[in-house]
Amino acid sequence: MDFFVHFFQDALFAAIAAIGFAAISRPPRQAYLWCALIAAVGHSTRFLLMQALSPGMHIVIATTLASFVIGILAVLISPKAHVPAETCLFPSLLPMIPGMYAYRTFGGLAMCLFGSTEQSFSHSFFLFANNGLTCFFILLGMAVGATVPIFLFPDISFRATRS
Amino acid sequence: MCDFMARYAVWLFGSGSTCIRLEKNLQRIAAAAGVEVEITVLPRHIHLTVREPADGDTVTTIASIRPLPVSYDLITRLSRLSWDIADGSLPCDRADTELDNIISSARSDIPGLPLLVGAANASFCRLFGGDAIAMGVVFVATVAGFILKQMLAERHTDPRIIVIACSFVSAVLAAADGLFGLGATPAVAIGSSVLYLVPGIPFINSFSDMIDGHYICAFGRMMQAVVITCCLSAGLCFGMFLMNIGMF
Repeated sequence: MDFFVHFFQDALFAAIAAIGFAAISRPPRQAYLWCALIAAVGHSTRFLLMQALSPGMHIVIATTLASFVIGILAVLISPKAHVPAETCLFPSLLPMIPGMYAYRTFGGLAMCLFGSTEQSFSHSFFLFANNGLTCFFILLGMAVGATVPIFLFPDISFRATRS
Repeated sequence: MCDFMARYAVWLFGSGSTCIRLEKNLQRIAAAAGVEVEITVLPRHIHLTVREPADGDTVTTIASIRPLPVSYDLITRLSRLSWDIADGSLPCDRADTELDNIISSARSDIPGLPLLVGAANASFCRLFGGDAIAMGVVFVATVAGFILKQMLAERHTDPRIIVIACSFVSAVLAAADGLFGLGATPAVAIGSSVLYLVPGIPFINSFSDMIDGHYICAFGRMMQAVVITCCLSAGLCFGMFLMNIGMF
């Protein structure tokens, strides 16, 4: 029961985040709902991969697979919504951006600079490198996973706006 | 025709389109007009050569890319324009006026955008494990920072200065969670309060160009996004330093 509450909360908040962040990049009106839907499906896919399996999947692989799902959905939906595939795709990815990892990376870097003893430096450097590597590979996995479908189905992706 | 294509290219690229879309749309227009087109995308310019196969004339233009805010509405309508030209429903000589129409009717930010972004960032905070109080603090910090961003953008302030100022304001406001002991997750609040400034679309565009083999353009976009991210961290660090908060 608790698991389902978490699952639906995850999807709901991902959808709200997608709508808000999509609005910054001025999408056409018909794209808002699709962005919310695709983002919710994508984020809950990642949630399931990381939480429902035991042992849970690593965040980098789970994010890459979830991004691939988002990419496929966006490419399939774009002709229906009459918008380019990227319009549905890129805003839907934004809820998966590894914000806290990026924050801790910069925190670790700042503490490296100001750390005085060797021990505190090593600890900060570990935080910097550990979070930084995870953050970078999540971003890379997101971008590759999501853009591969566009390159796999160019006929669909680039014809969506044809009237 | 070359002038039209150059103008089309700088507007499409400036609105945040990927290189592969730019190439496909331009080639579509060129095919309809019976010419051939080759493009190179440089960090701040687009180099465009149009060749007429009939008499072998070539014309080359280098046009400056317009630094516009990302607008998928513009990308959608410009892509539709290219299909209209390719399908023959819009004659080439009227394409120029139609481009003017699209540009002049480009949508600005929707009203209430700061509230939407605030709600989005608060949800983001929740996804990272923040509690209800952290969400509230992030909402206020984001709305304030985003309104400041819109005000500065109207005055055509340098985008890097805008990001430093906004991340500073948001970080200082979000620091309230920890300083006054309001919630249990102050680190998540302050960390996610500035995330609305992360240049997500330029990062993803950059990776897309890299997969496509447009390495110079990919590198250019990546550097732009990295510079913005550094500005964001500078504002955040300064805000936290002023509020006397440690990172962990």
